[in-house]
Amino acid sequence: MIITDTLKSLSSVDGPSGYEYRAIDLIKEELKKIPNISFEIDQLGNLIAKREGQGKKIALFAHTDEIGFLLTRKESDNYWRFTTIGGIDPKAIISQRIKIYTREGSIAWGIVGMLEPHLQTEETRKKVPSLDDLFLDIVEGQDKVNIGDIGVFSSEPFLLSERYFTGKALDNRVSCVTLLYTLDLLNSFVPKSESYFVFNIREEDGSPGAKTVAYRLKPDLAIILDVTHGDVSIPSMPQIELGKGPALGIGPVIDYGYFEKLKNLAENISVNYQIEPLGGRSGTDTDLIQITRGGIPTLLVSLPLRYMHTPYEVVNIRDIEETARLLSYFIARGGE
Amino acid sequence: MYLKELTELFGVAGYEKRVRDFIREKIKDKVEIIEEDPIGNLIAMKKGRVNKKLLLCAHMDEVGFMVSNIEEDGKLNIIPLGGIDTRSIIGKKVVVGEKEIPGVIGFKAIHLQKNEVYEPPQIENIKVDIGVTKKSEAESKVRIGDFVAFSVESMNHGSWFSGKALDDRGGCSILMDIIYSDIDLYYDTYFVFSVQEELGLRGAGVSAEKVNPDLAIVIETTTSGDNPEFPPDRRSTELGKGPAITFAHSGYVVDERLFKWIIDTARENSIPYQIKRRTAGGTDARRIATTLAGIPSAVISIPARYIHSPMSIINLSDYDNTLKLVSILLTKEAKL
Repeated sequence: MIITDTLKSLSSVDGPSGYEYRAIDLIKEELKKIPNISFEIDQLGNLIAKREGQGKKIALFAHTDEIGFLLTRKESDNYWRFTTIGGIDPKAIISQRIKIYTREGSIAWGIVGMLEPHLQTEETRKKVPSLDDLFLDIVEGQDKVNIGDIGVFSSEPFLLSERYFTGKALDNRVSCVTLLYTLDLLNSFVPKSESYFVFNIREEDGSPGAKTVAYRLKPDLAIILDVTHGDVSIPSMPQIELGKGPALGIGPVIDYGYFEKLKNLAENISVNYQIEPLGGRSGTDTDLIQITRGGIPTLLVSLPLRYMHTPYEVVNIRDIEETARLLSYFIARGGE
Repeated sequence: MYLKELTELFGVAGYEKRVRDFIREKIKDKVEIIEEDPIGNLIAMKKGRVNKKLLLCAHMDEVGFMVSNIEEDGKLNIIPLGGIDTRSIIGKKVVVGEKEIPGVIGFKAIHLQKNEVYEPPQIENIKVDIGVTKKSEAESKVRIGDFVAFSVESMNHGSWFSGKALDDRGGCSILMDIIYSDIDLYYDTYFVFSVQEELGLRGAGVSAEKVNPDLAIVIETTTSGDNPEFPPDRRSTELGKGPAITFAHSGYVVDERLFKWIIDTARENSIPYQIKRRTAGGTDARRIATTLAGIPSAVISIPARYIHSPMSIINLSDYDNTLKLVSILLTKEAKL
């Protein structure tokens, strides 16, 4: 598996929360190339791959959905109001070309316009327009769009430099790629665990996807893969850096015993890692999985990412490789 | 129509080489004289029926940035070249310098912002990420003084066209179309593709001095403000209503004889037109008009939305009608 190729196709595919099926289909095609696994799509649309093995039941989760837009009201002619799926900075929405999927299956295009500086006033210059003040200028498919149609950023992914990759939806397709790569690496082992690789839906929408799969599987351990803010200073927190390996979450939503095991393994096999303190909640699927069906021990492994929820998020390829290496060993050794 | 090619070229003010080379290559066999002046304006001439000169001008440059500093972590600081609204530049792809090194303009994730969500970003907090982590690494790819241009794929949507730099590649495309057409020119027509308009109308005057024309017409792409947030009485133009004819703008009241001549010609030929209703912003006409002993000058513009941002749009019917009007004007004697 060539990581950048898979990353490119998974970043390009569109799937905001509730509409992940295009991403799920693409991952399914990738899974077909990997031997020794079986997979199915459940009634909600989660994709679950299974790798046989003797030992503990370990489930790994990566959400497939991305942030997006919903058309809410027609203003006049070309102009539509919209809302977001997931939190998006209005500054990152202005001057973007949004790809819209209409109900009849065609593609429409909308521009989030910004009034020319020449016509701005002293007053309007002072403030970033809120989502209520922004609008989509539909330049193609005006007669095809409807209330409730979904939209996504249209940014094309590309390799920013030798090690850095950029594009939309890397939150959390980078984790999906990491899971696929982990499955690939797992073929060099006879795993001492029964592992499930869950590509779940709707994380940005409050985690109903991960929760229902966790309920069904009731694993001995759930490892959630997501992204975390990298290369940015956050008060009272250690700075997580890109290229320095996965960030292992620690805090109340994490199982301390498994955390120690994973950390020790990383040291034994020389995988660089970073520690990310999590407050009461992590803001990921972890929070809900932990309290599902009698309680499930959880670990959160995060890939550092810059500029989260913008059209050009940035990740480091080496972080993907190292995270997959760590996870494949961990699963092969039965969670030890 | 070379709108797609022209708008996708990188030609920030002061760095117009790519645009100039493209235009020269396309028109060199269609004109009688072609030359570049010492500051980079491209001047081409086609003979007319009388021994008098008309200067037709469109500027090649677009708004953008240049690299002003390279930080220790390899991020690039930038300063604007031309009037750019910092609220419209987050989450964009850019290219840097002659080698066209790709980069992105990221921003602190929405999750980590507090009050600053609705604060226009300061240019000193805007950085270009070229996927490196060290200053030395960045210096091997880019230099202080390199241009930074938005990288946007243009799209023809049928009746609409979206992309960057329509101001004023729209005008450049009109000039090229006229050069390609076989209209019976009245004057010896000097086509000037000017530089540095966005930096204070610095290029066109130099050409006008050299050509010493009897009159000049500037073809621009101008503001509109016809969006839902903006009161109709404050709009400057409306898209789809034909070329915008300027009676006055910042620093120059258009020669009344030329203004009337243009309107009369539009009327006589049933070409839709509109009078530009706002006077904010200037054009090369201001500079040309005060060159030498004074040159009567006029301005005709394609109305556009969201200019000076990375994503602007025009209505192609306005483009066609602008071309039609200018083409007719060029076959006639101006009423001076």
